[in-house]
Amino acid sequence: MSRRKRMLEELDQDIRDHIDIETQDNIGRGMSPEEARYAALRKLGNVTRVTEETRAVWSFIWIEQLFQDASCGVRALRKNPGFAIVVVLTLALGIGANTAIFSVVHGVVLAPLPYSEPNRLVMVWESRPHVKTLSTSYPDFMDWQRNARSFEQMAALTSRNYDLTSPGTPQHLDGMEISSGFFSTLGVNLAMGHDFSPSEDMPHGASAVVISDRLWRNRFASSPQALGKSIRLDGAECTIIGVLPPGFRFLVDADVYTSLAQGEPLFYDDRTIHAIVGIARLKPGVSIGQAAGEMSAVQENLDRLYPAVDRNLGTNIVPLKQEIVGDVGGTLLLLLGAVGIVLLIACANVANLLLVRSAARRREFAIRSALGASRARMVRQLLTESVLLAMTGGILGLIVAKLGVRLMFAEFPQSLPRADSIDVNLTVLFFAFGISLVVGIAFGLAPALKSSRADVQGSLKSGDRGSTRAHPRGQSALVMIQMALTLALLVGAGLLLRTIGDLRKVNPGFNTQHVITFKVGLSPSLTQSASSIRIAYQQLLDRIRQIPGVETADFTNIVPLSEEDNGGPFWVGPQESTSMQDAPHALYFETGPDYLQTMEIPLLRGRFFTPADTPDSEPVVVINSVLAHTYFRDRDPVGQTITVAHWHTARVIGVVGSVRHWGLGDPGTYNPSQIYISFYQLSDQWIPAFARALSVAVRTPLDVATIMPAVRNVVYGTGKDQPVYDVRTMQQIVSESMSSQRLPMVLLAVFATLALMLASIGIYGVISYSVTQRVQEIGVRMALGAEKGQIFQMVIGQGLRMAVVGLTIGAAAALILTRLLVSFSHLLYGVGPRDPVTFASVSLVLTGAAVLACYIPARRASRVDPMVALRDE
Amino acid sequence: MSTKEQNERIELLQGTLDLLILRTLRLRPAHGHAVAKAIEFNSDDVLQVEQGSLYPALHRLIKRGWISVEVGTSENNRRAKFYSLTATGRRQLAVETSKWERLAEAIGRILRPPAHEGKS
Repeated sequence: MSRRKRMLEELDQDIRDHIDIETQDNIGRGMSPEEARYAALRKLGNVTRVTEETRAVWSFIWIEQLFQDASCGVRALRKNPGFAIVVVLTLALGIGANTAIFSVVHGVVLAPLPYSEPNRLVMVWESRPHVKTLSTSYPDFMDWQRNARSFEQMAALTSRNYDLTSPGTPQHLDGMEISSGFFSTLGVNLAMGHDFSPSEDMPHGASAVVISDRLWRNRFASSPQALGKSIRLDGAECTIIGVLPPGFRFLVDADVYTSLAQGEPLFYDDRTIHAIVGIARLKPGVSIGQAAGEMSAVQENLDRLYPAVDRNLGTNIVPLKQEIVGDVGGTLLLLLGAVGIVLLIACANVANLLLVRSAARRREFAIRSALGASRARMVRQLLTESVLLAMTGGILGLIVAKLGVRLMFAEFPQSLPRADSIDVNLTVLFFAFGISLVVGIAFGLAPALKSSRADVQGSLKSGDRGSTRAHPRGQSALVMIQMALTLALLVGAGLLLRTIGDLRKVNPGFNTQHVITFKVGLSPSLTQSASSIRIAYQQLLDRIRQIPGVETADFTNIVPLSEEDNGGPFWVGPQESTSMQDAPHALYFETGPDYLQTMEIPLLRGRFFTPADTPDSEPVVVINSVLAHTYFRDRDPVGQTITVAHWHTARVIGVVGSVRHWGLGDPGTYNPSQIYISFYQLSDQWIPAFARALSVAVRTPLDVATIMPAVRNVVYGTGKDQPVYDVRTMQQIVSESMSSQRLPMVLLAVFATLALMLASIGIYGVISYSVTQRVQEIGVRMALGAEKGQIFQMVIGQGLRMAVVGLTIGAAAALILTRLLVSFSHLLYGVGPRDPVTFASVSLVLTGAAVLACYIPARRASRVDPMVALRDE
Repeated sequence: MSTKEQNERIELLQGTLDLLILRTLRLRPAHGHAVAKAIEFNSDDVLQVEQGSLYPALHRLIKRGWISVEVGTSENNRRAKFYSLTATGRRQLAVETSKWERLAEAIGRILRPPAHEGKS
């Protein structure tokens, strides 16, 4: 460094000496001293540039200049803090919104699953005609496991709820029944202990449980002594054999994992019961296609071996990530596009501000240029300034992003898969940094190129303030683009808003008002046998019905719109010899007698269940109107018989209205047939399995906070160890069923509002700047007799023209955008992508905003005093 | 105008100024102005070095260790900086010279192909 300093210190002197010698030479050639000196200077060239180039030899000149530019930029911005604040805030919003959405996209779609070599992990489903993903039966799974060669390892799981009653207070836990090898298939090592041993992975073997890190922390204070201790789950003592690493999660937040082989014997033994899901790790180098080919051969073999139950069953292999992310990916990409548009609009605003400012700084740059600054150097100076602004905006944007993501989770806690992996992490930081850099250059480049092309003489002459004509054409083009983009966003938000409105108007087939649902973990002491379970539920419901404010109450195994599933085959009349897979399928509701009244589902014919329908009386079913219409046509179904797989041939006693189970917008293609069975009439062997899944529905005009303490009181009164959980109002369930539309709608609405705001500011800025520029012109017009109203109209008209052009372009863009919206998602319901109402109303909103934005400058223009304006000349 | 003059000059190829400086300093050390004059004089004034560009080039060569600098007295008894070739610089001059000759030869061959080739 010191050598560099020494060398450079003498440089100026060297150059002076050089000029002196050259001057002397020139004088020697007969020039006048003055002439000689000028000739010497000319010959040397630009001294500043020579000095800079020489300095560059000795230093990382660009870093040095960057610091110079940056500190110069900071000074320039501090001179004009209003400008800097507006720009930084605009960018903070734009970059923040983008970073927030990107962090979601990254966490949900881009980040690899948190298992080892996750790309080799797949879900293995069964399928039958018209149903692509079907749970498999455990015996089928065992055959797959034995025969398939494409996989390194296969494991099975089914989700299950547990009631933990010891140690500590009773608690409901989500859990899973798994086959051994589940953790090693995922490539996850236990933090402590071991996976199920063969003796723990068979029916009637030693009861063992692997618990989550969370449960270990909460119940065992992270003590290593927890291994070997026992906990009571659903009344059975289980030994803790392993603890999972922190953060382990597979599909759900499960706290306990028990052996599938020791679970519900019905699931384990019966090839007709499809209740488990297979996961597998592909062997290295084996493609999904190869595995799928092999699996269908394996399944075909089962078809031959068990024609009655497995005929027509296929398999379906889905990459695990696709399974987990589902179709949220499309929605997220859509949102990323939308938020990118917001950023573009923000950039356009900032570029406009910079253009105005650069006009005001023309004199400054003319002087710089006269002093020997090269054009590239000035462009760089300006770019440094804009990147500085963008970076500051980016840093603030990170805060915006962090808050935004938090807010979004508060509003939509359940609507995103993999929510746990969404975070503002290093990748997201890089994204924010990169986007700030790009944005800084993008909005800074055009104004920078323009300013640096300053006409030195013109700008320096005549004390020009440098504020003659800015770049009106560039500016209004930017405003039109803003308007167009804003319109596209507004249309998107508007269509989703209309979709939600239409969905809300859909009649789901029952009354969603004033219904609360919850689940109860009945005390193990009450659930020893099927008959005791029946009695326990009957008594529980009797107590609940007696609570003041409860109108009616009963339970169901699946709550409409909650995504709970319970499908199965049936036959009209006696069971036919056709394969179970070829038989028609229906959605089965196992309910109590008051369920229909509680949900206010209309009874169309016959009767619903009564307490007189018991295991000892004739088996009866109630069917929905779709089933009645499809399979009985003109016959009266009441009095006919239907055979339910795994149960009885039962008498149809009534027909009820159809319920939209799979969503308000569900067209009813999947399992439109619905069959109701009285829970009390179920076979003894099925009672325990179904009892675990029951939800109680209560019709009451009171709200949750008022009624639930009484309910809990009643439930706890029956036994001390009965948790009440999953308390939700039917309205909440309805809202959640629309979350796939609500999330993008709310976000699009937020983005569209932001865009509208920015675009309004943009048009305001341009119009008000143009009014400032035209004060004299306006003064002349008024002096020549123009009315105030005419001036006012002229200014508003100028704004409107821009708005209308923007709207036209925007409408075209919106048509493309909405077609996209339709093509890669089922987001819209009841409203077409070209919905004229939406287009018309958002155009109106945008025009209104434009007029409003022009109002202030227009008024200012109409109040110009011609005397003052002209005297200013 | 000076800009016009610059355009009519034969512009030095990138890096050739370095070579010319080294060549000039091979005989004896010289100060900056003398180097510029010598290049102009030795090329019969065809190559007119924009004298300013001499200084970045000199500093570049110092940094690479091809020339060294020491303070001496010029013809008219003024304190001046004298640049001289180092041993490395001398070797580099040989390398650069032969490189340049090969380049010039190659370009010459392309621009003026032998006559018999032109006829075929």
